[in-house]
Amino acid sequence: MRSQRKGDIVAGGVIALLGAVVILAASQIRGDVEERLPPRTLPYVVGFLTLAGGLALAVKSYRYRGEDPRVDWPDSAGWVRIGVHLLLLALFAALMDPLGMPIATALYVAVAIGYMDRKRVAAALLTGAVSALVVYFLFIKLLGLTFPLGPLAR
Amino acid sequence: MLFSWDLLLAGFADALSWSNLLWALVGCLVGTLIGVLPGIGPSAGIAILLPMTTMIPPTSGIIMMAAIYYGAMYGGSTTAIVVNIPGEASSVPTAIDGYEMAKQGRAGAALGISAISSFVAGTLGLVGLTFFAPLLANVALAFGPPEYFALMFMGLSLVISLSGRALLKGMIATSIGLLASLIGQNPLTGASRLTFGVVDLMAGVSFISVIIGLFAVSEVMINAERAAAHIYGTKIHGWMPTWAEIRRCAGAMVRSSGIGFFLGLLPGCAPAVTTFIAYDVEKRVSKTPERFGKGAIEGVAAPEGANNATSSGGFVPLFAFGLPTGPALAVLLGGLMMYGLQPGPMLFQTNPKFVWAVIASMYIGNVILLILNLPLVGFWARIALIPFPVLGPLIILCSVIGAYSIRFMLFDVWVALLFGGIGYLMRKLRFPIAPLVLASVLAQMLETSLQQSLLISQGSWLIFLNRPIAGFFMALAFLSIGRGIWLQLRSHAPEIAIDDADE
Repeated sequence: MRSQRKGDIVAGGVIALLGAVVILAASQIRGDVEERLPPRTLPYVVGFLTLAGGLALAVKSYRYRGEDPRVDWPDSAGWVRIGVHLLLLALFAALMDPLGMPIATALYVAVAIGYMDRKRVAAALLTGAVSALVVYFLFIKLLGLTFPLGPLAR
Repeated sequence: MLFSWDLLLAGFADALSWSNLLWALVGCLVGTLIGVLPGIGPSAGIAILLPMTTMIPPTSGIIMMAAIYYGAMYGGSTTAIVVNIPGEASSVPTAIDGYEMAKQGRAGAALGISAISSFVAGTLGLVGLTFFAPLLANVALAFGPPEYFALMFMGLSLVISLSGRALLKGMIATSIGLLASLIGQNPLTGASRLTFGVVDLMAGVSFISVIIGLFAVSEVMINAERAAAHIYGTKIHGWMPTWAEIRRCAGAMVRSSGIGFFLGLLPGCAPAVTTFIAYDVEKRVSKTPERFGKGAIEGVAAPEGANNATSSGGFVPLFAFGLPTGPALAVLLGGLMMYGLQPGPMLFQTNPKFVWAVIASMYIGNVILLILNLPLVGFWARIALIPFPVLGPLIILCSVIGAYSIRFMLFDVWVALLFGGIGYLMRKLRFPIAPLVLASVLAQMLETSLQQSLLISQGSWLIFLNRPIAGFFMALAFLSIGRGIWLQLRSHAPEIAIDDADE
């Protein structure tokens, strides 16, 4: 996967598979065939386009024999950082309902900043607290956005 | 007759009301901030803020969104010049000579000329918009659904064929964008499709969360992997370029205005493209091209002028046809639709007050930006020094708030997260992102106009070919696709998109 060629072959394959799944799902759509544009036509067309595009990319890359540029993937430490970021983001989304937006915000911001820059714990905690206050007073109280409040609702 | 001085003056009267002035100012501030901060661009910025603006009136909301878009063009130059980190892709050519000037201790003059050139070209572009848009809207009044379908089809195929050497990848990106928007209910019949029995998918995938994911979340991922830390700035003193320098740049400003504006009318010619062209043209017409790359002040004036003229020019097809030329304008189009305003020629007839207030506000916004930029450049440059470990989580927080407030569904946050991952992989594997965004925004209008056209023609697809205007657009579309395929067959290069960051 370090080479563009291999990356494109894999990407093309995955995309072709996605196209095939869409075509399969489109065949399940029920609708009036008498309509000018039956409901399954467009999903079929886009599914076929995706399948064809993915296959063409995979085949073209497979047969490609020229200079092969490197894909600029991160090193293992980089993958870990991305993984932790995505995990924190997923936890943030998952905790939004039970903890409420302000508390989840404070936790997420403080932990994410603290993770990236371990020397700035105080700054991380402060930014987290300020973000939570901004979310609570600006977005929820002033702008009236209906974010989950969690325990704060009581 | 869709243009009159009375309408324009009434627009100015509207735009100068306290509340609209305030929102224009907010938009200019946010836009400059977005432009200054690397890691978040106008498309993501507008997408994040869009759902939150539903509580202010449509005119004020769109005034603010438009100000964010052209404001970002001003801000992007600051970091390009001061620290050689372009805040946006469109500021890359600015960094070439701008950073050289900064190294010679002339950062102030470079920042000054970029603000002045932005102002001159942005305003000249607005004059073009003021007279061109109503003219084109007059033409577009003759458009029916087949013409609209053909126009949008042409827009999409131009964007794909401009994805450089990556035509296949552009096509794939387009179909993924179309796929995302096909999920959910059919806009006319309400029949559900591609939902795989998941209840959340019934409501469809919001293109706003798609864009937030593609641009904001993936950008944070890219920066996180590098463990990007601190950016150290240089000291700046002496803000103003000399009069002789301003005079020397006058030609560059006018030329880049023309290049930026007219190329900005075309789909796919985003500011990221036109700035390179303007820089190149300036180098060619210069009597001393050897100075370019070594701190030539015209090399700063030209791209900065071009990106602002392009952003003004892009509003012409948006207002006249409802056709966005790039991702940021596509998000703005989404904003218009969210307010229930159908963009296109009827907008000038049904909502003239709205259109002219927005156009007038752009003139005012350019003045605001000039005032904000000249004396406050030092402040903006310091903002750019916020370390990434602090900035990254805050961008994510804004993305989550933006995605959640579209419909107050957690589902939209997950969609943004998913498309963050997709966007990351697309960037790594060099897929162009713009076609995906455009396709996901245009999909619904494409589908509706296709259905209406087939109703008119009683099912015959020839309707797109035997009506002259529709046929013309279709021919252009097929020509651009054919040209792309021909270039692909001739070249034996791997599929690699040109750098396609958030414009």
